[in-house]
Amino acid sequence: MGDGEDLKSLQAKNKVSEIGQFIAPFLVFGLFWEIMVRSGIANVQTLPAPSMILHELYVLIGKKGVLQCHIYHSFYRLALGYVLAVVAGITIGTVLALQKDLRDMFSPVLSLLISVPTIAWIPVLLITMGLGDKTVITAVFLGGVFEITYSTIAGIRSVHQQQINAARIMGVRGLGLFFKVLLPGSLVSIMPALRLSIGYCWRALVGGEMLSAMIKWGVGKMIYDARFWNDVKVMLVGLIVIAFFGVLLDRIMLKRLEHETVEKWGMLVER
Amino acid sequence: MKTHKKVKITLQNVTKIFGKNAERVVALDGVNLEIYDNKFTTIVGPSGCGKSTLLYLLAGFEKPTSGGILKDGKLIENPGPDRGFVFQDFALFPWRTVLGNVMFGLISNGYDKKQAKKIAMDYINLANLNGFEHAYPHTLSGGMKQRVSIARALAYDPEVLLMDEPFGSLDAQTRKYMQEELVKIWEKFHKTVVFVTHSVIEAVYLSDIIVVMSARPGKVKAVFDVKIPRPRNYTGEQYLKVRKEVLDYLEEEVQKEIEMNNT
Repeated sequence: MGDGEDLKSLQAKNKVSEIGQFIAPFLVFGLFWEIMVRSGIANVQTLPAPSMILHELYVLIGKKGVLQCHIYHSFYRLALGYVLAVVAGITIGTVLALQKDLRDMFSPVLSLLISVPTIAWIPVLLITMGLGDKTVITAVFLGGVFEITYSTIAGIRSVHQQQINAARIMGVRGLGLFFKVLLPGSLVSIMPALRLSIGYCWRALVGGEMLSAMIKWGVGKMIYDARFWNDVKVMLVGLIVIAFFGVLLDRIMLKRLEHETVEKWGMLVER
Repeated sequence: MKTHKKVKITLQNVTKIFGKNAERVVALDGVNLEIYDNKFTTIVGPSGCGKSTLLYLLAGFEKPTSGGILKDGKLIENPGPDRGFVFQDFALFPWRTVLGNVMFGLISNGYDKKQAKKIAMDYINLANLNGFEHAYPHTLSGGMKQRVSIARALAYDPEVLLMDEPFGSLDAQTRKYMQEELVKIWEKFHKTVVFVTHSVIEAVYLSDIIVVMSARPGKVKAVFDVKIPRPRNYTGEQYLKVRKEVLDYLEEEVQKEIEMNNT
């Protein structure tokens, strides 16, 4: 047996124990909760046991097949709003980073906007954008765009002048300079903002879905509608779904992206 | 080796002033200089004599306040791929591998990927970096980074190579090794090089022509022709003689610089 195999099995072992460590507290907590409910200390109506929630999850996915549909609609809005926020944030951020006059003009506005919780926008959006999808997607967009703009400005301005000069003398200018130097050079600041803002967007999404009366589908909507039936089980399933995908988006997608870019390039150490 | 001297770059009464009013600093004051084709020209001077500024003007990163710089009779106004630049702090792109860095200038000058890769590999081998083409810059030592930087600047075959204290941040051992490597590479191409350093030892080892600059404001004080055959010997009789000559000139200027800072 070679050392490589040893290393591989060791890594696999580590992975398993890592997952175990992540799950263990949930098991302990879940068990405690289950006992509290079953022994009658907690009220089943207001706080259903984990086993009931899992059963409800099974019913919603398998028997009724509605949860997928809720998730699908939520993701569609999240994806659209987030992508718009990323594109707009990076574009606006770049322009502001490069144009001092514009930056001086808009950065006070930006620092005001960034401190407004996105959910506070929603009543305004309900009036200006209507009670449907547009409002939710705009809320998602607003949830992320300011953070990304802000970090793009900081990122672009932190790109070493010598790297820009090196590219210029090799004949690169304009858009080429943006895509080949400014953007990769500022990823060290943009990547954490992408991770942070998808969390903000996710929150804005749930809030938007709850408050927009005209939409029927969405995880936020599912939770909100469950209050008509006093159905805490459905609400808790919704919370679990939200938490699960929140972690998934950050850990699986964006953290990986960060690992494959700025971490691999050694740019995090440099800071 | 060519024996005749052909002027490649002419600096005409070049003045560079930074800042305004009270914070005005005259970095270069009426510099007249000719840089010859296929010669290794080194600019030495005390710190703050504007030697790096001069190089930045040649690169087109900065514009002279007055006067003009002509390359082959045409005014230098912008940076462009007819010149290559090697920075003291390397200025590599950390998001590109060694190969990606060296290919950068080739791709942006219209080579297709396959051609660019082939040429880049040649220069990577020339810089003794074979085996490291897929490494990212942050994993390399200072000396290796600077070799990547030199390979990157040479790969797209610029007419003039500008080097701004390229070995300034390296340790003494690596520095000596890099000087020897640079001479070997230069002997192959006989490219026009303008090299900035504050080390006379380095200047005499490398150059055909040494330009000594005066302390602030920067002016050309003396120009030396170094006719010692390469590879040179750091302890050779001729080497030491030229070194002393240059040092005598420079010492005066360093003294002035110190006095200026004291007042």
